[in-house]
Amino acid sequence: MNPKQLTIEQVQEILLREKYVCDRSLATVVYLSLVMGKPLLLEGEAGVGKTEVAKVLAKVLGARLIRLQCYEGLDASTALYEWNYPKQMLHIKLEEIERGDKQKVETEIFTQDYLVKRPLLDAIQSEDAIPPVLLIDEIDRADMEFEAFLLEVLSDFQITIPELGTIAAKQRPYVFLTSNRTREIHDALKRRCLYHWIEYPSFEKEYEIITTKFPEVETKMAQQICAFMQKVREMNFYKRPGVAETLDWASALIALNRKQLDDKSVVETMGCVFKYREDLSHLREQVENRQFSIDALLRASPEMVS
Amino acid sequence: MDITAETVAAAVSKVASARGKGTLPNVMAFGRALKQLGVKVSLSQVLDASRSAEFVDVSERGDFRALLRANLISEKEDFPVFDLLFDCFWREQSYERMPMETMDIQGTPTESQAPEGGDEEGGLEEASAESIANENVPLENLDEFSVPTYSAQELMNRKDFSEMGVEESRAIARAILLIATKIATQISRRKKISRRGQVIDPRASMRRSMKYGGEVIDLAKRKKRIKKTKVVLLCDVSGSMDCYSRFLIQFMYGLQNELWGVETFVFSTSLSRITHLIRTKNIVDALDKISGSILGWSGGTNIGRSLHTFNRNFAPSMVTHRTVVVIISDGWDRGDVSLLEKEMHDIKRRAKKIIWLNPLLASENYEPLCKGMQAALPYLDMFLSIHNVNSLVSLGRTLQKMVA
Repeated sequence: MNPKQLTIEQVQEILLREKYVCDRSLATVVYLSLVMGKPLLLEGEAGVGKTEVAKVLAKVLGARLIRLQCYEGLDASTALYEWNYPKQMLHIKLEEIERGDKQKVETEIFTQDYLVKRPLLDAIQSEDAIPPVLLIDEIDRADMEFEAFLLEVLSDFQITIPELGTIAAKQRPYVFLTSNRTREIHDALKRRCLYHWIEYPSFEKEYEIITTKFPEVETKMAQQICAFMQKVREMNFYKRPGVAETLDWASALIALNRKQLDDKSVVETMGCVFKYREDLSHLREQVENRQFSIDALLRASPEMVS
Repeated sequence: MDITAETVAAAVSKVASARGKGTLPNVMAFGRALKQLGVKVSLSQVLDASRSAEFVDVSERGDFRALLRANLISEKEDFPVFDLLFDCFWREQSYERMPMETMDIQGTPTESQAPEGGDEEGGLEEASAESIANENVPLENLDEFSVPTYSAQELMNRKDFSEMGVEESRAIARAILLIATKIATQISRRKKISRRGQVIDPRASMRRSMKYGGEVIDLAKRKKRIKKTKVVLLCDVSGSMDCYSRFLIQFMYGLQNELWGVETFVFSTSLSRITHLIRTKNIVDALDKISGSILGWSGGTNIGRSLHTFNRNFAPSMVTHRTVVVIISDGWDRGDVSLLEKEMHDIKRRAKKIIWLNPLLASENYEPLCKGMQAALPYLDMFLSIHNVNSLVSLGRTLQKMVA
C-alpha cells in the first residue's frame, strides 16, 4: 500500500484494522505527515497512545520501524553514526604487515564499510521498498544538545559526516516524535514538525477502544470501566491513569471472568489503574466512605447504543 | 495580552486587507493574525500550512481546522487562542467561498451580510466586555482596601523594593544572576572528555591511538559534566504582596532570562502560567504583557487552590527529580489549609527541592504563625527571606552551599 495515496478516511481505517482507535483530527494530522513528508510531534499525558501511533502505522504500512528511545546522555555516536575504531585499527595493522600504501589506507578506512549505523543514519540510508517509520520516542528525555543533531536530519533529511561528506536520504522516512513534556522542546525543532496533542479519550472513544481491543468484553462492564476512568481522571490523584491503564484493567477483569464491576472487584484489581500507594489508599477510602459509588457513577454515565 | 473575542476580532480586522483570493494569502493573513495574538509562527510554517491544504478537502471544516492547527501551533496552550481566531477568521459565510477562489472581502455578498454580522459581533463584544468589567469590580475594590498592614517596622522594611532606583535594579540583576547559576548547577550523568577525569574512555582512547599507528599511548579520560537544574517559580501576586510586585516581576524576568528551563507562574486566587509572556528581550514588554493578561493581580490569596491547579495541570510533566520549586509568598492564605498541606506534600514528592521565599521573614518579630505558612513549613527544604538586595545576595550564598 502506498502511503502517499491514502485518504484521511483510509488512515483512520487502517489504524483501526490494527485496533488503534483514532479520532478524525489525529487521522488528519497523520495523513498530512505522510503525504507531506513532514515529521509529526505528538504530545500528551502518559499512556494516551503516542508511541502506539507510530508502531501501529509501521505495521499496517508494512514498513520497518526504527526506534530511537531517547534518554539523558544520548549523543551523536549512539543516535547518528560512529566509526568502527577497532575495525579501522585492524585494517591499519594488517596494512602495516603487508607494507601497504599509506595514502590508500587513509582513504580506505573512512568509507561506509567502517561506519556503524545508528538509528538516524539507518533511517536515512534505508533502501526498503516502503520508507521506514522512524520513531524518536520521548524526545524530552534527551538533552537540549541532542535536539541540535536532529535539526539537520528532520529538516533536510541528511547527515553530515566530516570524513565522508553529506549523506542525503534517498527516500524520506516517516518521522514521529513523542514527548511527555517534562521540558519544552526548542522552537527550531517544533517549527519543523506538525504538532498534535492527544487528549485523554472521551467516554465514547474509550468505550470504542476497549471493545475494539477486547471484542469479548461485556457491554455493561465496558461502560462501567469507561465511566469509572472518566470519573477518576477528574479526581485528585497523584498520577491520573491513561488508556494504557484502562486496557490493563479491562484485560485483568476479563481474565477474572467478571461480568460487571462492583465495589469489591474494583478494590481488588485497582493495582492495574493506580501505581502509587497514596492513590490506592485514597481510592479505598473514597469507596469505603461511600463518597465514590460505582452504582451512582453508572447511572450518571451517558447511555450507549450497543 | 488578554485574549478575548474583542482582541481576536481586532486582529482579524487588522489583517483583513491582506486577505485575497486563494488559499495562500488567506493562510498568510491568518498566520499574521495569530502572531498579533502572541503566538509564535514562522513563515515556513505558514507556507507548509498552505501547501498542506492541497492534500485535504478544505471544505471539511474540521479537517481544515486540524491541518492549520497542526502546522501553525506547536504548544497545547495556544489551542484556545487558535480556536477563537479560527472561528472568527473563517466565518461560515466567508469560509465557504474561500476554497472556490472567489472569495472577495470587499465583494457584495460580504457587504450585504455585514450589518448582520456586525451586529452579532458587537453584541458579543459588549457581552464579553461586560463580563470582564463585572469580574474586575471586586478586584478594583480590593485594590483600594485590602493591602494588609502589619507593624510600622515591617512597612519600613518593605519599602526597599518599592522605591527601587536604577542602581538597585542593577544590583538586583547581578544578585539574580548569581542565584540563577547556583540554583541551576548540578552534576550530569553525561560525561565529557577531560584531562583530569577519572574514568578511562576506551572509545576515545582507541581513536587517539590511531595517530600512533594503533599503539595505545595516550589514554582519554572522562569526567562528569555540570548539569543544569530546572526551576519552577511560583509567585504570589495577591494584595498582601502588592508592594513587592515590581521587584517580583524583575526577579521572575531575571531568572527566566538567565536560565533555560525556568517555568514561571503567578497566583492569587487562581494560577496562571506566564513563562511565555516574560520570555522577551525587553522587561518593559514583559511588564505590558503580564499586566494585560492576568486577572486577579492584587486580589485575595488562595494558595492551596493555586497549588492544586499547578499539581493537576503542570506538575506531572514539569516537576521532576531535578526540579527546584521556588515559591515566593507571604503565606497569608484565605483558602483551605488542609488542601494546601496536601498539595505541598505532592510537590515535595515530585521535586528535588522546595524553597520558600518569604518577604516578611526579614522582620525580627515575625514568626510564621499564619495557618498557611505553618501548614507548608514541614515540606520546605529552605525557608528564606527576600526583602532587599542584601537578602538576595545572601540567598545566593545559601544556595551555593546547598548545591555544593
